[in-house]
Amino acid sequence: MRIAIDILIGISIFFALAGTVGMLRMPDTFSRMQSSTNIGTMGVLGVIIGGIMYAIWQYGDYSMAVKIGILGVFYIVTNPISGHALAKGAYRHGYRPEQGFACDQYGEDLTDAD
Amino acid sequence: MKKTTFPAFLSTAIVCYIFWLLLTGQIVAIFNGNAAPEVLIAGGLVSVLVALFSARFFIHRSAFYLFNPVKLLALLFYCIFIFGWELLKANWDVAWRALRPGKLKINPGIVKVPTELKSEYGLSMLANSITLTPGTITMDIADQDEKTWLYIHWLHVDCTEPEQAGDSIKGTLEKWIRRIWK
Amino acid sequence: MNELLFGAICFVVMALCLVIRLIKGPTIADRAITADAIDILADMALILFALFTGRGIYLDIALVTAVLGFIGSVIVARYLEGRL
Repeated sequence: MRIAIDILIGISIFFALAGTVGMLRMPDTFSRMQSSTNIGTMGVLGVIIGGIMYAIWQYGDYSMAVKIGILGVFYIVTNPISGHALAKGAYRHGYRPEQGFACDQYGEDLTDAD
Repeated sequence: MKKTTFPAFLSTAIVCYIFWLLLTGQIVAIFNGNAAPEVLIAGGLVSVLVALFSARFFIHRSAFYLFNPVKLLALLFYCIFIFGWELLKANWDVAWRALRPGKLKINPGIVKVPTELKSEYGLSMLANSITLTPGTITMDIADQDEKTWLYIHWLHVDCTEPEQAGDSIKGTLEKWIRRIWK
Repeated sequence: MNELLFGAICFVVMALCLVIRLIKGPTIADRAITADAIDILADMALILFALFTGRGIYLDIALVTAVLGFIGSVIVARYLEGRL
């Protein structure tokens, strides 16, 4: 049991580290947004599942486990909303990467509509 | 502004009350048999009040759709197994791209992808699933030529053909969401 | 018992590394997503610390910071789109 919890927390730390390194290394705004999703999904889920198991196994405190579960569901539900809103807002505001996109079918349709 | 219908109000109130029970820890107390009645009554009042004001933003038709156990089980199965596996694969892919030494191997671009789903809930669930997998972010939804199109920012663009790109981004996800929401 | 504290320290160190991007980031959107990520990492550290001490009150603090971070990034996105 103890080893399973340690492995889950270790997975979480590994993916959060990958997201952090990605956010420091990626060249433009939208790619950095992809790396921040990495922190918000697997970096959260490992700690949440491990925390639920630890709260039940060590303390026998079910209300604490339920509260951690609510936190996890809240992160999973709200993370894509803020990511989508920020990506659309940044694109509409006129931020583009310096080296350009490989293909940009959104920009073509936007200029057609205007 | 749409009007509040009674089924929408009732289902929103039930979901609010379940959330109140979970957050105050009373659901454990009910199982142990020592629940505090004043907390239960206060929760009921608050959830009725909240549902009265906010039901018209959440539910527009067929309010009790998810109370059908088959659909609910399909939703749980999708969330845990199908989506979890896709999430793990995509996470490992993006983490390896970020951590590998040397030059970054990325090729970002925005592709346009058709979808077959019609209902509001199905579309929002597909868009949220795509955004939640690292490597793809949904940027907009548009109606064009009697079809619904999603604009997706993709970290490593393989192909720019709409059908082919759609298959490799959301192939399994869309097949399972169509079983839940039509 | 000690590995929970070790994990919390790891998360806090990663949050401190992200402060570099918060200072350097060339655009407003960069700063907004970095602030969101720092918020999530700090919440993870809070959850592990709550499990370490066995007190549920830290979980309430984590819930409140999660809600505030979500609202903040949505408001920044509205501002960038020009509809605020």
